[in-house]
This record gives sequence, structure tokens and C-alpha cells, in this order.
Amino acid sequence: MDPSEIETVTIKGKGKAKAAPVKPDDPQGHVISELDAVTAVTERETNKVMDQLDLISGLVATQQALITGVMRHPGAQDPSVQDSINQVMAAGKDIQDKVYEAMDLMQFQDITRQKLERIVHHLRQIHDYIVDLLGTGLKSEGERASIGRTIASTGTTPDEKRAHADSVVEEFKRSQKD
Amino acid sequence: MKILIVDDSSTMRRIIINTLARIGYTDVVEGEHGKAGLEKLGQGGVEMIITDWNMPEMDGLEFVQAVRAQNAAIPILMVTTNAAKEDIVQALQAGVNNYVVKPFTPDTLKEKIESLLG
Repeated sequence: MDPSEIETVTIKGKGKAKAAPVKPDDPQGHVISELDAVTAVTERETNKVMDQLDLISGLVATQQALITGVMRHPGAQDPSVQDSINQVMAAGKDIQDKVYEAMDLMQFQDITRQKLERIVHHLRQIHDYIVDLLGTGLKSEGERASIGRTIASTGTTPDEKRAHADSVVEEFKRSQKD
Repeated sequence: MKILIVDDSSTMRRIIINTLARIGYTDVVEGEHGKAGLEKLGQGGVEMIITDWNMPEMDGLEFVQAVRAQNAAIPILMVTTNAAKEDIVQALQAGVNNYVVKPFTPDTLKEKIESLLG
């Protein structure tokens, strides 16, 4: 990761005891594009972690194949040797399982990205409201940052509104049958 | 069994592809939003769709409606962060067959896929 990417975001996030006055050539896009950069960087870096996990997974698979070859060797037929090899194989499987678990945990990136996008959406609404109120005329499309996802009525769901998906699906299917 | 995955997050597509591979599905095509998904679907051979909801260009709900306008039978699983009851009902009304809320476990995805293909 290029440290300057994060540094830019961090520095701008800090030291804001007094907010700078908004200039006509420095509209809302500034903050929004910073958030945009955060999501882009975390997605890219998450993919790098995924690359490493894929690599580990491949190495474990290679190791398992090599050990399987060793097990067939005449010198490895002793029960105690076979037992030790089986333990190594089991440990390899444990590593593989943990690698898969780590990959699954990377879902956090997409979830946090969507939460950030929702924040951006609300910031934009506040900005537009203030601009309308003051009539400063800053609200052109060219001044908007690049986040273009449709999140007006969707996005991440607050915990208190989360439903149990399976129950809702079952209820819906029952209602369709009736 | 060719599965189409539609999600704007490359990380999520990768996680889903990994999970599918672990449960035996390796023939996968990808789209980063609804429009790309429709293009891939048009190329033929897709037997199941896994789609996100919140995406640029064409979101998952519009995508599902567009798919259903031309194909009433293909199984569609929606995998999304949207977890409110009204969202789930809206997706089901649009034509999804089942619904998974992120984050999901491999077992959940496997169970949903198997029940759809069942």
C-alpha cells in the first residue's frame, strides 16, 4: 500500500478543530472523494490479503500432495511413521480450513464499504439541503465525487431493522401458496 | 453447472467463487453490475444466478426484474447487506428464489444453493 494514500485521508481527518470555510471551488466532492479513496484502497488491499491466502492455500495443497507421495514410499510403511504422517496431514487440513475461514472473514470489506457509502449519501443530502437553503449554486454534477451506487433507499440495514431472512422467505412463500 | 455471480465488489465475487469451488462448483462467470450480468446471461449456458443488491449502473433488484422478464425459471439467489423485512419481501416479489444476508458462512451458501437446485 502506498502510505501517502492513507496519510492523505488521516491528515485531512485530523486537526479539524475549526472547519475551514467552504470555498466555491472546494465543494463537497473533497470529503466524498476521500471516503471514495478509503473504500478503493481497502478493497485493493483486501484483495492483496486474498492473494496471499490463495498462495498459502496452494502451498498447503502442494504439501499434502508431497506427503501423500511419501506415504506410498516403502520406507514409510511402518505404522508409527504412517501415524506421524497422518498427523502432519491433519495439521495441513487444519491450516487449509483456517485459510478458508480467513477468506470468508474478508466480507467485512464489502460491508464496511457499503456503510461508508451510506454515510456519503447522507452527507450529500445535507450538503444539497444547505446549498438549496443558501442558494450558493454549488450543486452541479461536475462537483460531485464518483460514488454512483444507488443507495437512496437501500444499503446496509441498521441492527434494529434486521430481519431473519429465512423466516421472511418462508412466510412469503407460504403467502404465495395461499 | 455454470453460475453467474453479479456483485460490484471484487472481494465479494472472489469470496463467493472460493466458497463455490469448495462445494464443487467451479464453472463461474462474473459481472460487476446488473448490466454486465445481463450481458453474461445473454452469452448463454448460465444455470443459476447469485446477485448482490447495491450496485452501480443497474442494481440487483432491476437486474432480477430484467432477468425475470426473459427467463422465469432460472434460480436466483440474492446475497446482500440489506436485511430489513421489507427489503427481503421486495426482492422476493421481484423474482429472487432465496435470500442470504452478508456476512454469510459457506454452510449457509451451500444450503441455499442446494435447496434452489434441489
